[in-house]
Amino acid sequence: MTAQHHHECEIDLPTLNRRRFFATGASGLGTLALASLLNDDGLLASETPSHVTHFAPRAKRCIYLFMEGGPSQMDLFDPKPRLNELDGQPMPESILQEIKFAFIQKESARLMGSPRTFRRYGKCGMELSDLLPHLSTCVDDIALVRSMHGEQFNHLPGQLMMLSGSALQGWPTLGSWLNYGLGSESNNLPGYVVFATLGRGLPGGASSWSSGFLPSQYSGTLFRNQGSPVLNLANPAGMSRDVQARSLQTINELNRVRLQRIGNPEVASRMEAYELAFRMQQNAPELLDLSGETATTLAEYGVSRDEASQSDKSGFLGSYARNCLLARRMIERGVRFVNLFLSTWDHHSNLDSGLNRYTKISDQPVAALLKDLKRRGLLDETLVVWGGEFGRTPLGENRVNFKKVTGRDHHPYSFSMWMAGGGVRGGQIIGETDEIGWGVAQDPVHVHDLHATILHLFGLDHKKLTYRFQGRDFRLTDVEGNVVKQLLA
Amino acid sequence: MIPLFDVPSCLNSWVLPPRSNTFVLILLLGLLGVPSSPRACAEPVDFQRDVGPLLERRCLSCHNDRDRRGGLSLRSAAAALAGGDSGEVMIPGDPQSSYLLELVVPSGETAEMPKGEPPLKPDEVAILRKWIAGGATWPSDLYLTPPTAWSLANLERPPVPPLNEATSEFALRNPIDRFVAVGHRVAKIQPAPPADRRTLIRRLYLDLLGLPPSPAAVTAFVESNESQAYEHLVDSLLASPHFGERWGRHWLDLARYADSEGYLGDSMRPHAWVFRQWVIDAINRDLPFDAFSIQQLAGDLLDEPTLDQRIATGFHRNTLRNTEAGVDLELYRTKEIIDRVNTTGMVWLGLTLGCAECHDHKHDPIKQQDFYQLYAFFNNADEVGVNATMPWEIAEHDRAMQRWQPAWDILVHDLTSFQIAGLTPDQKSEIAEVLNAKTPPASPLKDLEKYFRTQDEGWSDLQTSIEVHLKQRPVAPATKARAFAERRRERRKTFVHIRGVYTRHGAKVSPGTPAALPPLVARGPLADRLDLARWLFEENNPLTARVAANRIWQHLLGEGLVATPNDFGVKGAQPTHPELLDWLATEYRRLGWSRKALIRLIVTSSTYRLSSSLTAVPGQESLSNQTLWRQNSSRVTAETVRDIHLAASGLLDRTIGRRGIRPPLPAFVTEVGRSVKWPVSQGGDRYRRGMYIIFKRTVPYPMLMAFDAPDSTVSCSRRERSNTPVQALTLLNDPEFYECARVLGQEMLRQHPHDVPTAIEATFLRCLARSPSDQERQYLIAAYDDLLALSAAGQNRSDEAVHSPTAAMTAVVRIIMNLDEFITRD
Repeated sequence: MTAQHHHECEIDLPTLNRRRFFATGASGLGTLALASLLNDDGLLASETPSHVTHFAPRAKRCIYLFMEGGPSQMDLFDPKPRLNELDGQPMPESILQEIKFAFIQKESARLMGSPRTFRRYGKCGMELSDLLPHLSTCVDDIALVRSMHGEQFNHLPGQLMMLSGSALQGWPTLGSWLNYGLGSESNNLPGYVVFATLGRGLPGGASSWSSGFLPSQYSGTLFRNQGSPVLNLANPAGMSRDVQARSLQTINELNRVRLQRIGNPEVASRMEAYELAFRMQQNAPELLDLSGETATTLAEYGVSRDEASQSDKSGFLGSYARNCLLARRMIERGVRFVNLFLSTWDHHSNLDSGLNRYTKISDQPVAALLKDLKRRGLLDETLVVWGGEFGRTPLGENRVNFKKVTGRDHHPYSFSMWMAGGGVRGGQIIGETDEIGWGVAQDPVHVHDLHATILHLFGLDHKKLTYRFQGRDFRLTDVEGNVVKQLLA
Repeated sequence: MIPLFDVPSCLNSWVLPPRSNTFVLILLLGLLGVPSSPRACAEPVDFQRDVGPLLERRCLSCHNDRDRRGGLSLRSAAAALAGGDSGEVMIPGDPQSSYLLELVVPSGETAEMPKGEPPLKPDEVAILRKWIAGGATWPSDLYLTPPTAWSLANLERPPVPPLNEATSEFALRNPIDRFVAVGHRVAKIQPAPPADRRTLIRRLYLDLLGLPPSPAAVTAFVESNESQAYEHLVDSLLASPHFGERWGRHWLDLARYADSEGYLGDSMRPHAWVFRQWVIDAINRDLPFDAFSIQQLAGDLLDEPTLDQRIATGFHRNTLRNTEAGVDLELYRTKEIIDRVNTTGMVWLGLTLGCAECHDHKHDPIKQQDFYQLYAFFNNADEVGVNATMPWEIAEHDRAMQRWQPAWDILVHDLTSFQIAGLTPDQKSEIAEVLNAKTPPASPLKDLEKYFRTQDEGWSDLQTSIEVHLKQRPVAPATKARAFAERRRERRKTFVHIRGVYTRHGAKVSPGTPAALPPLVARGPLADRLDLARWLFEENNPLTARVAANRIWQHLLGEGLVATPNDFGVKGAQPTHPELLDWLATEYRRLGWSRKALIRLIVTSSTYRLSSSLTAVPGQESLSNQTLWRQNSSRVTAETVRDIHLAASGLLDRTIGRRGIRPPLPAFVTEVGRSVKWPVSQGGDRYRRGMYIIFKRTVPYPMLMAFDAPDSTVSCSRRERSNTPVQALTLLNDPEFYECARVLGQEMLRQHPHDVPTAIEATFLRCLARSPSDQERQYLIAAYDDLLALSAAGQNRSDEAVHSPTAAMTAVVRIIMNLDEFITRD
């Protein structure tokens, strides 16, 4: 936080009387009063921690589109004609012996082809599934990684791995590391914001945006996309904004008396925290107010799609579109890291209808977000990441109690993700899977490599961004990770 | 660090026994950042005096024969001259060409080496340069040793510094003050005056009970003429049952206590509270720390263990558990044991054993083998449930049955009147059996209809009534404590896990303790957990007492004498007052490990009673407090933030222990987790202390997390104390805190109608244990007037609360409850 923000108006607060208070009106006064209180004491300027990148950053902000549950790569991003040919055949014995499944019965497992049709799009000719008609118009901006891999074949360990670089609960998530390393650029909003579009809830709940062993100020803040966006942001029922502003004035008056008495800088920090809290109260609701957005923009994202599609009872269509648009608004206001969870892509059965539904929810708004960011010149410094915790098996899932095989099981050994903007070279495909899409055939990118690359784009050396805990210097990438140079523009 | 004070040229301004000179020296070095190497001067460099210690201190922890980082060992002349992976590191006689110097000369604030550490000081670099220039003399038979932790040195009771009472700047009430006073004198620091009585009583209440003092208690203490008023206050607080809650919560942090399993399922552990209850009770009855520890680690292995002792083993049952479908259960079982080893290491030994899970510890003398020897102690501790229904649960159930039974008896009586004639005794008992079944079927009479005249009028109503009432029958409590029981058959073997991968077995190991620590003497041929637990408390174990004493100090002075309470290793913090720490450690043992006695000793010292104000001594405002010239003030813990609101407002329900509670939470918070049920607690339960809020690991209570409660994934020995806007929003707007302000506002108006200044005065006293200053009073009265006018302006509202003196007073109380002082223990 810098000092220049607070020079809006000079008000000598101790001499401020009631008449002045009411004459000024509460709307402006709260902010000004608080700002001047702090500024007069010269308390704000010195508090700024110095955050230094290790080299020139390409990305300054990140929108992470987290696809919870594990989207099926061979039905969306990674066409496997040979798999289609082998539909109904058993897996090669050599592969089967070495692997574990969550639910598949090995003996009777059969390969399952994809009913999707793939076509080439854009200048780069990237092949995508017919389920992604909107994204297919953005392929020249995205780098598709078909060779992602990890080890965790259960949801929460996989998600924790993808979000925090460890399969165990208690490690800081990516957004926490970025804010720890780079600080926040927003004066009015938290540096790490989370939106969740939930099917049946997230496996990790709030640990999906935990700061782990980093101090709690680096944890994500859960936002709602309507009503009062943050827990406890709204004043208590019946308490007006005027009352709030007047109360904050006295809280700071008394805190200042205390600061002068005991000289403890913690008191000044608390005054600053109250100031930021009040500014959040003023600014966060504005964030959700989409009345300033053009009809074209709203339509492009599909914000009012719920009304258009009565058959969809969940309300996710409009809600997810809204979250995508809000992510852009967050980025514009300096939020460092926005994570949009969409739950769930966990299609053990009814894969076709499930994918239809979830691509319908997400394809249009995600493409709109990319185009919108690009149009506004924000994409250059905004990294967009799309992906789940793992992919899905080329085998159909023949779980014991399933009558028919209609889905796929968890598959961490190869899956697809994509990135765009923020220093990523678009219009390219990285890596290949083998002919049935079981393993990575070329240019493997491990989850740790992805993390190393993301930090690199932010100007951070993943080996140098450390935090000491329990006697050890911890990293997002643990003791692994290589920057994927090919991803960089 | 820049020395703040000159090193006194002469240390004999007071008489000290010879050994204390070391102490003074350590203090000076530690506190003032004086480099412990001699300054570069005209004198020639001596390897043994100047170079060897420098290399040992700054280089040997990585560049020893064992680790050879970068292929380099600096243990002997031969090894050093041989160089490392990058070739030679020094050329005797030619410092310019010596790679070693290139690596250690800082550019800016960092240097290539020592890696990740502060760079060498200029005079240290000068020593190396001079030494190499002079031919790098290094006797061939002289081997250097890597640094070992100070904490592994024998624990001996240091003599108490014999200071002259009369010249002392503050009252030397007990030995603690003498150790601290020596530091003050050496650093020429003026200690702060004692805090006033109002601050003291609030400090004591918050530290010992986690609750604020009542206005009556404040007045009584402030006005007391008794010479021992302070000591008596301390004794009464130590005897309070709330003491066990406050200090129990500290222990639960270490125990990573939670009410759910963690991970995807995160299912509830509905009886986890039994362990919490045990901790509270044990601390209240001052179960000595050795027994307290031994029971938790190995209560099941004691001779004929009591239920209490078996419940105690719940300590290590608080680990996270992954039960997600399809998960590798053996992998997560090993993760639980690894956590048990790590936690045992941090809590009792202050060692970061976790570093040795995958490889030998880089800095401390813990080998990977040591780690898995400790693992072996826990590898056969099976997880069991022990029947632990509490007498109060049975009484509670009895009362509920008494309420339920009469209506049931009438229904059964009515039912008899529908019976067909001539039922055999067997048939009658069949009916009774179904109705009294432990889990009766939903429609209990369905299969019995043949015995009744179901066509008679009233049958169907009766049948419904019976079904409904039976569903409401109170469930008999069947509480199971989570405990350990040692596996006797098919015992698991333990192997080193190569690189920490549990499926890659290395050498087979037996239970054992780290070789660098005193040996363990087992009762039988194979050491077990009980041997391990007792070994921790052997006289010759240098760590346990130091770690335990430091932790108590930390909770009372805001910071530990060792700032890293779970790391007493080479990379942890050095003690600011090593002799005081050792004295406290031996004293703890001498006091029979009585937690209350040690706490009493510390809080009755003058050191504890110092003012925490930074302005207490003019000119020392920006002086660090490592010398303890004042107390530390700190924001109260998350649970206490809640507790002081409830206590000040009068809403607090003081029930101790028992089951957890669920205060209200908005749905959007709970629904981020999978199938989270959050039925809000009713009645007084809603207003119980923060430590009883059910801790669901994937949906932790947001208020607690906002104020840095640990997430309970791993043991927490030191909470963060952040200061954030989310805290401000919580204090301002959380409905529970607002309710506290409203209730107190109403009460203050009721007690002091038409007298706002007095109502404000009374609120201040309840919340802050003091009266407002004139200036503060003026600010608050002005605020009240404004807020009253503002609420009058909103009179068209129907809500009673917003347009009355109640609204204004509520807002004023809310202001006071949002003051930094309210949530700070000064």
